[in-house]
Amino acid sequence: MRGTDYVLKRIAFAIVTVFVAVSINFVLFRLAPGTAVSNLSRVPHATQQLRHALEKQFGLDKSKGEQYVIFLKQLVHGNLGISYENEQPVATNLRIELINTLPMVTLGTVFSILIGTLTGVIAAWRRGTPTEAVTVSSALGFYSMPTHWLGLMLIIIFAGTLPTGGMTNEFLLNPGFWQHLKDLGSHVLLPSLTLGLVLYGEYTLIVRSAMLETLGEDYILTARAKGLKPWTIIRKHALRNAMLPITTLVALSLGYVVAGAILIETVFSWPGIGRAVYEAVLQRDYPMLQGAFLLLTISVVVCNLIADLLYFKLDPRITT
Amino acid sequence: MRKRWLAALLLTSGALIFATGAIGSGSKSTSGGTFRLGTASGIDSLNPYVAFNQDAYSAFEYVYPILIQYDSHLHYAPFFARSWHASKDGKSWTFKTQPNAKWSDGKPLTAADAAWTINTDLKYKSGATANVAGLVSHINNAKAPNATTLVVNYAQRPSPSYVLGQFQQFFILPKHIWAQHLGKKGAGLKTFPNNAPVVGSGPFNLVRFKMNDVALFQRNSSYWGPKPKIDEFGLQQYSNDDAMVTALKAHDLDAVESVPATTMKTLRNAGFVVEDVKGLDQTDFIINSNPKKKHHRELLNLKVKEAFDHAIDRKKIVSVVYLGAAQLPSTIIPASAGVGWHNTSLKTPSFDLKLANKILDGLGYKKGPGGIRVANGKKMSYEVIIPTDVQSLPRTFLIVQSDFAKIGVQLKQKALDSTAAFNQMAGSNYTYQGFDLAMWDWTALIDPDFMLSVVTCAQWGGWSDSAFCDKKYDRMYSQQQLAATPAKRRQIVWKMQAYLYKHRPYLWLANDDQVSAVSKSWAGFKNTPQGPFNELNISVLTHVHQK
Repeated sequence: MRGTDYVLKRIAFAIVTVFVAVSINFVLFRLAPGTAVSNLSRVPHATQQLRHALEKQFGLDKSKGEQYVIFLKQLVHGNLGISYENEQPVATNLRIELINTLPMVTLGTVFSILIGTLTGVIAAWRRGTPTEAVTVSSALGFYSMPTHWLGLMLIIIFAGTLPTGGMTNEFLLNPGFWQHLKDLGSHVLLPSLTLGLVLYGEYTLIVRSAMLETLGEDYILTARAKGLKPWTIIRKHALRNAMLPITTLVALSLGYVVAGAILIETVFSWPGIGRAVYEAVLQRDYPMLQGAFLLLTISVVVCNLIADLLYFKLDPRITT
Repeated sequence: MRKRWLAALLLTSGALIFATGAIGSGSKSTSGGTFRLGTASGIDSLNPYVAFNQDAYSAFEYVYPILIQYDSHLHYAPFFARSWHASKDGKSWTFKTQPNAKWSDGKPLTAADAAWTINTDLKYKSGATANVAGLVSHINNAKAPNATTLVVNYAQRPSPSYVLGQFQQFFILPKHIWAQHLGKKGAGLKTFPNNAPVVGSGPFNLVRFKMNDVALFQRNSSYWGPKPKIDEFGLQQYSNDDAMVTALKAHDLDAVESVPATTMKTLRNAGFVVEDVKGLDQTDFIINSNPKKKHHRELLNLKVKEAFDHAIDRKKIVSVVYLGAAQLPSTIIPASAGVGWHNTSLKTPSFDLKLANKILDGLGYKKGPGGIRVANGKKMSYEVIIPTDVQSLPRTFLIVQSDFAKIGVQLKQKALDSTAAFNQMAGSNYTYQGFDLAMWDWTALIDPDFMLSVVTCAQWGGWSDSAFCDKKYDRMYSQQQLAATPAKRRQIVWKMQAYLYKHRPYLWLANDDQVSAVSKSWAGFKNTPQGPFNELNISVLTHVHQK
């Protein structure tokens, strides 16, 4: 019963969070100077009438309050609106861009989690040795590198070996399944690697810190005294007990997967959601921005909710 | 357990990757080959009533029929219209169109499609078709008495070159497709996605399109004009110039539409053909010329503007910012825009700080603390708005700022994204009270009408970024549209340039070159002032072929 209360409270909190975030987003985007009309009305053959026509079409001639009510009504009906820029449903635009983004960012994030966890465990286990110094300093080195710079360096290093832009080679002649998969894999490698390298340092530090804490516990000393193998101690006793902070970080990272990676998508010309959001900001495409941030909000809130529920499983102290 | 987990991860990654790419990949093997062109811009919409980017309009040039195109000397030449003539009173124009033409879906393409497109644009010009309203201005209606005759009736006698200029940019849409999507008051014309494969009737069919990624065009076997030599061409969009140039060097691309000046030497050394031609883009220094301007009214003084003009070291800008790949500008119409429109009698203002100082001294604007002059009791210290999307401007600004300091004028950079920049310049009510100076760029068309229009009073709140408003100039603008002969129009166009040269709403900074690069294994790829992938004609991609 106590567990059910906990779950219901977390879900209610998540719903309120989404509503508040949606409302803040509505206001925030409209604070930026200028509207989509000032850009879109400036095409070579346009007349003055275009500005008025666009304002009316986008509903920007209405008060902010009216716009907010219309936005909420549409949202309740599952309608994210029409993009100002390409006049297509926001849901369709987001779906395409999300499908493009997910593999690249997911691979990069998973890579960073795996490498970060591994190096964090090694650094903690080999505390005070040159191994720790090397793993921590290289993790910090990558973590502090500007993402776009690292991406450009990888482009220069792998020029001619791996593709430097786009998601696929659209000019392949009738590729079979495996050829297509290989092509996609070669395109996704550099952007995912860039993302993974930039992100893994964060995991290294968190895992190292959590592991150091658990490695100092009495039960670890007992395990060592019992003659258990180091790997068994790490896997069965230390890492499991260090999982709480790691779970939080993993959940947060996975929540942000849908946000894409603006810099990486720009450097590698990846047609993902990060670039789309950046373009939408420049164009003041409110429906696209609202849609993308709604998606991000829901994703982050849901992942946090999952993390909360995992806590419930991982740490019985929460319910006692 | 561990193996199962790893396998699941690999499978999930593979499935994600494949799901993404499964949306579209693969193309047919062809004898004429596929020409792969890289671009930094890209197509933003396949709907001509929505599209904004030049690449979109260039794509329409190859997909839709157009009445008239430019020839290689930038003279008007037949395209879907094989011939044309005006009535005696000049108010009615008759175009004889291509017989036996077909749309890519096999339906007949006739003059009725052209008449329908013109009349539809007229009908909804205050709403759905407002972005092409300028192309049908002065037109009363259009009729198609038979399949190969189009008659366009004007409200008043237009200038012949104005008419031809209008129809060189006018895409004819298939009535049988678009008439189904009118919706309420034509609103459906804008929401119709016009997804690939697009029904068109140009030398190529646009068969596949992925936003922000790629557009693939296939040779149109039912095209009524000269057939392209290649079978396909693809337009691959890059958001990073370095990655695009690297892709070209790795032969993942065959050509790049526009390369940065910094890569010209490297590409030439790597064996690519780099073609550098005079372009249509000019960067400018904008002086708020609003006659009702409230602050810093000294900026309306023509002598102050003249002094500023002499304080700009254009040779240094061309040499440092563009590494020589730019020209010295002089007027609002660049030298590469059309034949004879550029007023050659107007010369680039000299860089003469002594003269600039002398002019300002003569106006009584003495230097105060910090060496900054004082005009009308206030420091000559100004914010310069700079849009962040014009890459050459930050470096150009530093050069201008340094020289202006030598004439006692302080400039401070205010970088904004282009939407915010225009919003600050025009103001929320389009009163143009919120700025003094700015820097931006203009890309001219071949016909001078557009560039000359941006400084008319009618463009306040539209294209105007200088707030210049002068009734004498506006009268000349209308006259050039209605001039009876091209020679008469040219005379007025030259006069208008001279008028702007004197009143200086813009101080022109540099006229960028258009630089393209292509692999040596291709021939027939020619650069133009508007780039190789342009709205001028269909010449480049119908002539390009493998060596």
